[in-house]
Amino acid sequence: MTADSGGKTGTRFVVPRRTILKGAAVAGLTGAFSAPFINRLKAQESHPLAGQKIDMNILGIAGWLPSSLGVKMSPMFADYVKEKYGYDVTFGFAEAPFADLFQKAATSLATKSQEYNIIISDSQWLGALAKPGWILKLNDIIAKNKNLQLDWYSDTVVNTYMKYPDGSEDIWGLPQEGDTKALYVRKDLVEDPNEQAAFQAKYGMKLPSTFEEYEELDAETYEKIMEFFTRPDQGLWGAAWQYSRVYDFCTCPLLSIMWSRGGDIWDPKTGQVEGILNTDANAQAMELYKSWLKYMPPGATNFGIAEEIDVWTQGKVATCLQWAAVGLAMITPENKDKVLVVPPPKFGKGAEAKRVYCMGGQPWVINAFNDDAKMRVAIDFMNWWYLPETTLEFAKRGGNPTDKATLSSPDFDTINPWNRAYKFMLETGRSRDFWHHPRYSEMLAVQQEGFTSYMTGTTASAKQALDYIACQQQQILYDDGTAATAPSDACSSTSL
Amino acid sequence: MASSPGQSAFKDNRRVIIFALLAPVLAFFIVFNTIPTLWLLGLSFHKFSLLSGMPPEFFGFRNFQDIFRNRNGIWGDLGRTFTFVGVGVLVQTTLGILLGFLFWGSKDMPGRRLALTLLFTPMVLTPVATGTFFRFIYDPTFGVLNALVGWMSPTGTIDFLGNPQIAFWAVLAVDCWMWTPFMTLMTLAALGSVPKAELEAAEIDRLSWPKRVSLVIWHHGKFILMLGILLRTIDSFKTLDLIIPMTKGGPGQTTRLVAVELNKQSFESFNMGWSSAYSVLLLLISIAMTSMFIFILNRRRKGR
Repeated sequence: MTADSGGKTGTRFVVPRRTILKGAAVAGLTGAFSAPFINRLKAQESHPLAGQKIDMNILGIAGWLPSSLGVKMSPMFADYVKEKYGYDVTFGFAEAPFADLFQKAATSLATKSQEYNIIISDSQWLGALAKPGWILKLNDIIAKNKNLQLDWYSDTVVNTYMKYPDGSEDIWGLPQEGDTKALYVRKDLVEDPNEQAAFQAKYGMKLPSTFEEYEELDAETYEKIMEFFTRPDQGLWGAAWQYSRVYDFCTCPLLSIMWSRGGDIWDPKTGQVEGILNTDANAQAMELYKSWLKYMPPGATNFGIAEEIDVWTQGKVATCLQWAAVGLAMITPENKDKVLVVPPPKFGKGAEAKRVYCMGGQPWVINAFNDDAKMRVAIDFMNWWYLPETTLEFAKRGGNPTDKATLSSPDFDTINPWNRAYKFMLETGRSRDFWHHPRYSEMLAVQQEGFTSYMTGTTASAKQALDYIACQQQQILYDDGTAATAPSDACSSTSL
Repeated sequence: MASSPGQSAFKDNRRVIIFALLAPVLAFFIVFNTIPTLWLLGLSFHKFSLLSGMPPEFFGFRNFQDIFRNRNGIWGDLGRTFTFVGVGVLVQTTLGILLGFLFWGSKDMPGRRLALTLLFTPMVLTPVATGTFFRFIYDPTFGVLNALVGWMSPTGTIDFLGNPQIAFWAVLAVDCWMWTPFMTLMTLAALGSVPKAELEAAEIDRLSWPKRVSLVIWHHGKFILMLGILLRTIDSFKTLDLIIPMTKGGPGQTTRLVAVELNKQSFESFNMGWSSAYSVLLLLISIAMTSMFIFILNRRRKGR
């Protein structure tokens, strides 16, 4: 068959229909294949860094897996921008432990250095990094980048990782890793029929063994579980919680107990601490927390994150209050079938019982002293980090995303054993952060000193330790200009 | 007598050469020592926090007042620090001298060289590393020391670093473990400075050992030994990197020495004005201690 189907003959140029079809097919395929390339060329040409090579540095937390995931995944970003924008990027990684990271970041930023272009900050440092103008305010960046306008899982995410001062609309960080407290429970013990029977016989109640039962667990029952499993002769103890003086290790669980029992630590609007922190109710919370030491292995007053992981992975404790983000270290190939991760206990009885635990996790913050090229890469990095496929990959590697879309996906709960508890605790009202204040580290140092002084028996009375902390913090906030009221006269007689 | 023009030119040249040779060291000293010290002194009279984003504000003597006014402040820290320095240096010196004499008197002992090398190992370790591994050695749950304690006395474990009655001494013990070899080294150096002829003469005169030590050995070796004690005192006064990984100043404040508090205020809280004032006070204390040592040394020299 030919193109001239009329059957007329003559000198007309006749093109066979097959040839036309072939040509059209070739042209179509060429167009189809080259369109993305042309688009890419267009995109590369339009990107100001196309053809350049940029070296970036991330400062993160040493030995903290979620922090290192951001770096381990950075080659994916390098491929992405090479493909999409046509520039090369390499990442260096500097790190320091939790207790020293702020020091490392602050001393570098104070010299207006762009040594670290992107920093994984702890949430409480937002104020200290933002107030001197060391990190980039992100409101305009977010307004211009649709990828950054995410629907976050709860207000807790926004208030913890993004805003400073509290209650304002100023955004300084974006969530790198969400984190909440979770209770790790030895599934093999709580599901053991013999243990179940012994617990039932001893306390006249069922030994909680499912997520739903722990969801309803109150502190009184939890204490029974701790007592039940405290068997030093077998090298087993009821629990491991953090009491260490390092960083915020003693503070986080203790504040959780105070908040859950209805207490508070300060008024962020007036900067008032005295009379709010040093109450009898908070002193009772401290006494309760100290009394739990008897259910913990010897040396628990030095327990921080690493020590908890040690005793947990060695099978020395039946339960452990730990960060959800530490799941990968807590759940090893040896114990992976023996661990149940559940919400930590509520405090109070019946309908009044509640749990308000400390938030963990870290935001990304961007160095305000980055030059234009590095700033552009940092913003591209943020845009890439919140792509659905990146977020999902992060979750699959053991990270905790914070956006509603990922957390609401049907399979999220089963990606990691701690995901369900993490999501549960991320609901508004169940977790909260403390002090996004520039004097955070100073207030924390005093608080840790006071709390651990009581926990170790150096200070005899919980109220005395609280009075000391409240007076010192009141002075810090008064000197800073945050608190309108100076420490009271009673403070002159406080000491540890 | 008037000097000739040639001699004068030589003297001038000599001065220039001396100055030229000293210039790099002087420049280094001024840039890295004098200027920062003056800066520190100036800052001690200012209110300045790195986190405030505000420039330093003149504050008069308020920083110094605050240091002395705080009930849990400098007095407690100084008390602990002087105890740490006094007991630590005393123990290290005593053990160091004993070990020094032991090695000095056993020159033909087989394996002496190896034993000496092993003995000096703690001294060359990084204090942070030493503190970290001693934290694990002391650990009540899996520490080797508690395993030994448990083996000897099944009644229970000892929380070396968590018990406020023990923690200070546990940290001090590590300091002694680490720095006794230094005093051994200084003792060996002091003993090496004693002329062999005088020792042989003392032996021929059948002087008793205490007399040999007091009349011959001490006479020649005291300067080196006192120098060792001085260095240890200054170094011990600054102890920080051993404590941070072990107790971070706790439990409570029981191991909070002046350097720990200074580190906290300057590099955790970034209170640069307050920290400068605190540093000035510590500098004055260090100068006073050093002056006392030098005075004692010079007095003995004059009196010999």
